[in-house]
Amino acid sequence: MEPLLQHLERFSEVLAVSRTTHVSTWDPTTVRRALQWARYLRHVYQRFRSHDRIRTTLERRLHSLCKEGGLGVGPVPGLRNFEALGRCDILLSLRLLKNPALGDAACRYLLQQLFPGAGVRDADRELLQDSLASLARRGSAVHMLRFNIYRENPNLQDDPVMKTQAELLLERLQEVGKNEAGGPSKLLCSLWERLPQNNFLKVIAVALLEPPMSPHPQGEELKLGSPRILEEGSQELLHWLLGKSEILAAFCRNVPAGLLTLVAGRYPALSHAYLSVLADWSQRLHYDLQKGIWVGAESQDVSWEELYTRFQNLCQAPPPLKDEVRTALKSYKAQDGNFEVPGLSIWTDLLLALQSSA
Amino acid sequence: MPNSPQHSSEFPATLDDMKTSFLGAVFKRNKPPACLSSVLKHAWDNPTCAQFLQCWQAAVERRPCPLSDMAQESGDLASDCQFWLQKLSEWDQTCTLETQQDTCLHLPRFQEFLRQIYEALKEADPTTIMERFPTIRQLLAKTCQNPFILAYDESQKIVIWCLCCLINKEPQSSAESRLNSWVRGLLLHILSAFRFDVKEVGPFTQCLGYEPADYCPGLLKNMVASLVSELREGHLNGSNTQRRLAPERLMSLSRICVPLVTLPDCQPLVEALLTYHGQGPQEVLWPELFEAINEAFLLKKISLPVAAVTSLWLRHLPSLERAVLRLFEKFVSSERHRLREIECFIKDSLLPQAACYPAVFRIVDEMFRCALLETDGAPEVLAALQVFTRCFLEARDKENKQLRFAFKAYFPHAPASLAAVLSQLPEGLPQGHWLQRLQLISQQLKEAVENQPQGSHGGPLQSWFLLAHFGGWADVAAEQLLRSDMDPPAALLWFLAFYHGPQEGAQQRARTMVQAEAVLRRLRELSGSTRLSARDLQALGESSPGDPRSPVCTQLIRQLLLNFLLWAPRGHTIAQEAMAFGRLTSKPQLPSPPGWETPCLRAQMCTSLGVHSQLRLRRGWPPPMTSPRRLLAFWTRPCTDGTS
Repeated sequence: MEPLLQHLERFSEVLAVSRTTHVSTWDPTTVRRALQWARYLRHVYQRFRSHDRIRTTLERRLHSLCKEGGLGVGPVPGLRNFEALGRCDILLSLRLLKNPALGDAACRYLLQQLFPGAGVRDADRELLQDSLASLARRGSAVHMLRFNIYRENPNLQDDPVMKTQAELLLERLQEVGKNEAGGPSKLLCSLWERLPQNNFLKVIAVALLEPPMSPHPQGEELKLGSPRILEEGSQELLHWLLGKSEILAAFCRNVPAGLLTLVAGRYPALSHAYLSVLADWSQRLHYDLQKGIWVGAESQDVSWEELYTRFQNLCQAPPPLKDEVRTALKSYKAQDGNFEVPGLSIWTDLLLALQSSA
Repeated sequence: MPNSPQHSSEFPATLDDMKTSFLGAVFKRNKPPACLSSVLKHAWDNPTCAQFLQCWQAAVERRPCPLSDMAQESGDLASDCQFWLQKLSEWDQTCTLETQQDTCLHLPRFQEFLRQIYEALKEADPTTIMERFPTIRQLLAKTCQNPFILAYDESQKIVIWCLCCLINKEPQSSAESRLNSWVRGLLLHILSAFRFDVKEVGPFTQCLGYEPADYCPGLLKNMVASLVSELREGHLNGSNTQRRLAPERLMSLSRICVPLVTLPDCQPLVEALLTYHGQGPQEVLWPELFEAINEAFLLKKISLPVAAVTSLWLRHLPSLERAVLRLFEKFVSSERHRLREIECFIKDSLLPQAACYPAVFRIVDEMFRCALLETDGAPEVLAALQVFTRCFLEARDKENKQLRFAFKAYFPHAPASLAAVLSQLPEGLPQGHWLQRLQLISQQLKEAVENQPQGSHGGPLQSWFLLAHFGGWADVAAEQLLRSDMDPPAALLWFLAFYHGPQEGAQQRARTMVQAEAVLRRLRELSGSTRLSARDLQALGESSPGDPRSPVCTQLIRQLLLNFLLWAPRGHTIAQEAMAFGRLTSKPQLPSPPGWETPCLRAQMCTSLGVHSQLRLRRGWPPPMTSPRRLLAFWTRPCTDGTS
């Protein structure tokens, strides 16, 4: 077992290095060795993918590598998880090909190995050649679909681009969660810093809806989109979101009303938080007697229309959310003085408006 | 066998005639045709014939013919390069509906061209290549810009191979090094063929540490799933205009799918398209898509559920015709098949299952009819038809009773009672009832034949064709005649005479019946004698000069003799001896096409013995035979004298 683990470590290093300028020192022999290791590890993957114990051991070693950052090559990742082993030869090949630092001789050798041509007798090489060709084919397929057919789905949770991003996020979260306790939180914070926030928040919303509510058998294969991964990941996500009030507020602000209602319907904790946020927003509005409408004090305050839309959406949700919202609204109205006349309490007015539209 | 008038060597006038001739040509060849067009070339020396037949084949394929730019297979690669380079430039400059369609139409031939180029390239070194194909760089570069080509089948792989051939192993000059870099760049472009430029996605995935190779399959899967649910919703909510897909969108989708038909990730989309119907009677999808799917299905590059294939064939007639032609090709293309193989071919084709729809059944039936007519009722075609009918009845049985079409829908021109009574196969009845049933069939058949005014629906041939589907009854009739100790019933004799010669005149048929009866009587005598030998049978097979037999009669008697060997209690004792003789009847039954040898006895038996009898043998029927297995094994062993 230990030799295998060492191979794993060494290859992970190689994979990480393959993206750096270090490869300029590689000659054809080095390339050959790297490819051989990749092939060997892919066999390992095939052999042990249904073998839980061994797989867990291998995965733990990979995670420990990532944690230590003990690759000595900075944030460039090597092998991240067990699944990646199944593609390690493809990953290595593509990284080397894309690396402009790879010398001419080494590159020529690489191409010769990767694309031996028709009628190659070596099953492994044929498999790698076919996998790379298949990747190219699928890439073109995506390109064609994207430019000729794809339309963004107004229901974001059904949009394939959103879904894919969500699945990737959840997979990463679940993986990082295994490494260390605070991992997901750290990752999410760093993503929050670096990414365009609007899109990120939408992806989070879609991710929270991702795993379909159906039971799954134990010991299921871990792959992208596997329900077990998705569920673990979304728990992490929710936890983080609820812990950061600022981000939560931005979340409630930026995610479209319909989508947010769906998410709230699934997670009671989130629906409570959502309602509080809405309550906060509502408190910031005051009644303008002259204009006869509720307005905010500052320009970035949420408008009446926005509030109304959100509450309307919530009231159209299936129970128990619908009932919860109604109850909350009524209790807010009661706390506010239980007026029946419009213009005095925003809660009264909201309820009146909602009732008349229902 | 029907002695229909031979087709004259005059040129066939109508499209139907052409089709019939074509099918006949297919069946007359016993050499495996490399492709159907080469069959045509052999069959017809007359150049105008060949051209016309090409037109017909094109008509089957529903392509405009002859396409001016399709007829460019010059065989000279260098000039082909010019042609394709021009095409690629056209496709490059505009990305309109027409260019997309044109690209899709040319995909298979372009891939073939790429293969040829690769073969030429792989032997040569880069310098020679550049001399021989000066435009190769441009060609490959333009190819790499075309996602339709890269998404099709194996084209991307072949392009990669071609590019690898251009790499200089020991670059001597900077020009050569530059060429190497250029190749490398292009390869990289192919392998990272998509830049999903919805602007947020790139940074997002990068931040998470994913590369396109990681998520491309997942993204494709999600996009396909999204399209499939769009199609399903649009289908289910047909009347709701909002959910229905716009016609342009459907057309666009069907064009995009043409290169993607054999990509496994896109399989659900292909199926969803096949089962998506528009509102009106016009076809909403691009017909070329059906062709592409059909080709992939026939070449076994994809597998589809029965419902999807049926939908395909119902919506696109040429695809159905091609499927049947391909089946026929299989029958012809190798040595004489055994029953089991024919059955496998037929079942695999999914045609019997699809034929549960009367529209499909009638087209397939019509093609069988043409084939039978053209080959004068060749036993191979007959056997195939009978196997097909069995498989069809089996498939129909499995269908939900409420969804079944009435039997009359499949045989609209036949009297309903006759069709119904024939379609109940002998196995479905207890053996004791067979005689009675046969007499009923014979009577109804006779009525149908005699009551039909001449020339209507093809006269007696129409009834014969119906009977041909269920030829098992002829086998049963022969067996009944041999087993009974009494005088042979006239009804059975008439039945068999009709089966073997539907167009015989009444007088000739009466004569045939008398001659057959004589043979039966003699066989009964022989059966009783202790010194029965194969020679006795052979003597019966010979027609005496004083009492000449028509070809129909010869055939009938041969069937009786073969059945005697099989079923009569004394028959099988001399069977082995009879095998050694080589043949039972002196004259070959059909005028042999040039190049065919006279079939040996075993071959005769395999073809003359109906499907029904062969099946019974296979299942180990009937009661006591000393060595049914041995006989069967003997029959189904490959013939050593090379003719079958």
